[in-house]
Amino acid sequence: MTTDIAAETLKLPSLDYAALAPMLILFGVGCVGVLVEAIAPKKARFPVQLVLAVLGIAASLTAIVLAAGTEKVTAAGAVAVDGPGLFLQGSIAVLGLVALLLISERSLERGGAFVAQAAVTANSEADRDQATRGSGATEVYPLIIFSLGGMMLFAAANDLLTMFVALEVFSLPLYLLCAMARRRRLLSQEAALKYFLLGAFASAFFLFGIALVYGYAGRVDFAGIHAAVLDSPNDIALLYIGLAMVAIGLLFKAALAPFHVWTPDVYQGAPTPVTALMAACTKVAAFGGLLRVLYVAFERSQWDYRPVLGAIAVLTMLVGAVLAVTQTDIKRLLAYSSIANAGYVLVGVLAISKAGLASSLFYLVAYGFSVLAAFGIVTLVRDADGEATHLSRWAGLGRRSPLYATLFTFLLLAFAGIPLTSGFTAKFGVFAAAIEADQTWLVIAGVITSAIIAFPYLRVVVMMWLSEPGESTPAVSLPGALTAAAVTIGAAATLLLGIVPQPLLDMTENAAHFVR
Amino acid sequence: MNGLVTLAAAAGEVKGGEAATFYLLAPIAVICAIGMVWARNAVHSALFLVVTMLCLGVFYVLQAGPFIGMVQIIVYTGAIMMLFLFVLMLVGRDASDSLIETLRGQRMTAVLLGLGFAGLVATGLYRALGNLDSVGLTQANSVHGGNVPGIAALLFTKYVFAFEVTSALLITAAVGAMILAHIEKRPDQKIAQPERMRARFAPDNYPGPKPGPGVFANSTSVATPAVLPDGTQSERSMSKILPQRELTAAEAAPKGTEHQ
Amino acid sequence: MDGYLGSYATLGITLLAGALVFVGAFSANRVLRPRRPSVSSGKFESYECGLDPVGGDWAQAQIRYYVYAYLYALFAVESVFLFPWAVIFDRPGFGGAAVVEMAIFVAVLALGLLYAWRKRVLRWA
Repeated sequence: MTTDIAAETLKLPSLDYAALAPMLILFGVGCVGVLVEAIAPKKARFPVQLVLAVLGIAASLTAIVLAAGTEKVTAAGAVAVDGPGLFLQGSIAVLGLVALLLISERSLERGGAFVAQAAVTANSEADRDQATRGSGATEVYPLIIFSLGGMMLFAAANDLLTMFVALEVFSLPLYLLCAMARRRRLLSQEAALKYFLLGAFASAFFLFGIALVYGYAGRVDFAGIHAAVLDSPNDIALLYIGLAMVAIGLLFKAALAPFHVWTPDVYQGAPTPVTALMAACTKVAAFGGLLRVLYVAFERSQWDYRPVLGAIAVLTMLVGAVLAVTQTDIKRLLAYSSIANAGYVLVGVLAISKAGLASSLFYLVAYGFSVLAAFGIVTLVRDADGEATHLSRWAGLGRRSPLYATLFTFLLLAFAGIPLTSGFTAKFGVFAAAIEADQTWLVIAGVITSAIIAFPYLRVVVMMWLSEPGESTPAVSLPGALTAAAVTIGAAATLLLGIVPQPLLDMTENAAHFVR
Repeated sequence: MNGLVTLAAAAGEVKGGEAATFYLLAPIAVICAIGMVWARNAVHSALFLVVTMLCLGVFYVLQAGPFIGMVQIIVYTGAIMMLFLFVLMLVGRDASDSLIETLRGQRMTAVLLGLGFAGLVATGLYRALGNLDSVGLTQANSVHGGNVPGIAALLFTKYVFAFEVTSALLITAAVGAMILAHIEKRPDQKIAQPERMRARFAPDNYPGPKPGPGVFANSTSVATPAVLPDGTQSERSMSKILPQRELTAAEAAPKGTEHQ
Repeated sequence: MDGYLGSYATLGITLLAGALVFVGAFSANRVLRPRRPSVSSGKFESYECGLDPVGGDWAQAQIRYYVYAYLYALFAVESVFLFPWAVIFDRPGFGGAAVVEMAIFVAVLALGLLYAWRKRVLRWA
């Protein structure tokens, strides 16, 4: 009898390599990046890594474009390739590419925004020495590539187990990147530690949730859970507790209140280009995962989770808007703004409809571009000690450098949702979808908080334009080609998506169908 | 003893041994888990954690998951705990957290909320699972010819993509550990042996070993108390039995410092 | 001694016997040895040729140990995956696929070791 079993054949599941290519390319490029770190001479590493990373992401993007229109579940149900998945992967690739430009900037500061050796004791003699000279660590490139690969898998994962592995793959490099700021090392290390500890905690919740959902459904793949939500003979409490815990893990990554507390500290302490990456790409990936879990696996329990997540959306928008008012640091202000924006995306998500899905996708892309440009400008305003992020230092910036002050004002107006910016189109989309789905209370909360959060934005605008530049107002550095490109792309996208949003709206509309 | 029959017994027939082991180890596991949180000394915490993890390993074995049980013991109580202890040795055993709360009442609130949450989850789970029997264990453990082959069959077919991606996770972790813990010396910072020797025997450098911290000895007698950095003599540096021998003043005086 | 837990009962009994031998030996020692409580405090002191230590006995470890321990943990995790792999790769028609799967996994981890080696993490100087 035992021999029969030993003779049982196993075979590999069919892997659709074309559909998996976007992720496989990135993981492969990440490994090559580590290899380059190991064998390339020190001088050559930066250009090699930069070219490798850009080519890798471009190749991945090409693979995504080639796979457009595919709708299938591959790798034995582990990965779903469908409209929203490919759209999110494409957004991650494009936004990642723009963030990569910010990350690679080396003309603002000698050696770039990253520390050469993160292990050197903060504030020691050696640390002060390496802050002023020494080129930044190039390990950041393989880390970013692994992270982007993980995000793409997260947005496409079709079972909770794969999703958990993807969550870890994209989070771990981010924890590391946070600890690698060239200046203010202690703040940076604190940010990394906080993010790591809280992130590990959230992952533990996610894992516990998976176990409970498995206990309820007997499966971890989304189609199986979907089937089990109505049919399983097990007690429904298992499903509720499991879903709540899975949701906690996802809400943490998307920085929704009350799981947002890490955001301001981490956004402030991390190197600004990494903050930009987190605000743009991580948000896309986290909402991608959340969308798939809510729309594919737990669609049939929407009546149960909708009020709870609705309350979370209202709380998030309120917390983001109200606390943004009290901020005195531009990076923290943008962090709270990102929290509030996550709340608006959740409003779109909670429509649980095709329109809700499409508008959420649009919002994520629009916000991603704006936030990349905004953080790009933050890297430019600097003095001898690095970036001048305190708000009082921004007073009178409009007189010193009208161009960047204008750009920043435009981006803040986009965050506030003023017409002719992508922010307006995006907010209009999610609110319309929510009203259509009878979630008017969310829209009312959204409009009220939009009014509140306009205040801190306008305060910055007033400060930049109506104050006299003081002694301490730093000059805006002339950006290198890379930062200039990133800011231009971000601002142009914000403008274009505000004036001619139709192509992208059509794209999201066409993409908005999940495969189960 | 056929392997299948062995595993068939796992699904609830061996009540006696299973129950006895569980009720023996469960209190130990819980007490050690509480001890881990409670212990002031970080090393004690780590050792409590070892016991809890060992108990968990045994529980996994009891619940017909021998592979995960052994992994728990080998990887967690072996490798991971070793990492924990190294970290503790890095920070120092005496280092303890400051107990000043930056937010007033934070700890109390955290404890209450934590207990509330644990109570909520526990009652929910008890309600859901209180009178359920495990099903499918026998099947899961026999369909591919045993526990380990069963895990292998899933890992290398259905979840092969997740498995391969795990390697990306592991290499990220390795690179990260080296970034955050390893300082690469520049070639010009390296001091070769000849330079070291020259510096050691250079004029004005005492080539012998330096005295231990806090001790300034001017005599080789054990009866001479050490001098602390502030100039006072430390009685603690002398064996208590020495004064009982009643040395003469000349014997106890520092040697080699007399003015001649 | 049969059934699923039977094989483990042997293990449990061995452990129990080991513990009993240990406890028995020490109790026997305690019972049989002569007891001469000391009256002078000198018995507990270091002998006169030794100085009583001043301060704690805890020394900080080098962070290098941590990196080594970490590399060890990494390969311990790898070995966990190697065990199940070893029992199924002889399934008919699966050998090639299994070898390729594991080769990719091990190669990626070996890349980490190569990185450590090139960064001179493995060199103790």
